[in-house]
Amino acid sequence: MTAPEALTATVRIGAPPADIFPYFIDPALLIQWIGEWADLCPEPGGVFALNFSNTAVRGEYVEIDPPRRVVFTWGVPGKDSLPPGSTTVEVVLTPDGPDTIVELFHHGLPVEERDSHLEGWTTMLGRLERLSR
Amino acid sequence: MSAARGGAADGAPDDGDPADAVLRALADQHRRQILRLVRGGELAAGEIASHFDATQQAVSHHLQVLARAGLLRERRDGARRLYALDPHGLDPVREVLSELWPTALERLKYVVEQDQLTTTTAPKNAGRQP
Repeated sequence: MTAPEALTATVRIGAPPADIFPYFIDPALLIQWIGEWADLCPEPGGVFALNFSNTAVRGEYVEIDPPRRVVFTWGVPGKDSLPPGSTTVEVVLTPDGPDTIVELFHHGLPVEERDSHLEGWTTMLGRLERLSR
Repeated sequence: MSAARGGAADGAPDDGDPADAVLRALADQHRRQILRLVRGGELAAGEIASHFDATQQAVSHHLQVLARAGLLRERRDGARRLYALDPHGLDPVREVLSELWPTALERLKYVVEQDQLTTTTAPKNAGRQP
């Protein structure tokens, strides 16, 4: 029921990996697609700090291998269920012709019933974004 | 009072989604501050209110919103109402992560591809359409 299992998300982007990779290590670029504020020090052991939707995510980079792979830890200070360092996000960029397949694995999250209600989340997050603006 | 459902008393519509209630409850800095206060242990409503400039009534409203969202446990001790953090209250938010990444990656795709359009305008291939 609570066995850790990677959560995965994938997207195909019409750009080479080298053009996408900076969006995972440059704060100004990162916040264009996730969060409102970021402090990033892209080196192993360097800080990965991100605030989004009223949540403070804190972690550190574990592995940086431009432009193909980046790994960082992900947690929320003070949150027993998701303390900093408890989960890891692994991003793999694989070129496919002119495109890149971006695969994201979030390791260490409790499973629970996360696959249910999926449809509701998108609208809910949209509402939340409006709230937090 | 345990997490009541269908109570639209907060002004915001309650559509019964637990994560919705949690996130709405968290979307207020006073309520987040209340959660930080009770993280260390149970506190009476009055003690919590003493940390705010707001009226006790306003604080009480925030406490009710948090309790309804399942973030706080409420119990009575005589005339006092005591509040403690409910450790499972944030579980629904964790589930949100399962939708966070697909949504975020779609946004990444949009941003990068827009960027490609603007940076590739003149240099090589552009401007060649028959």
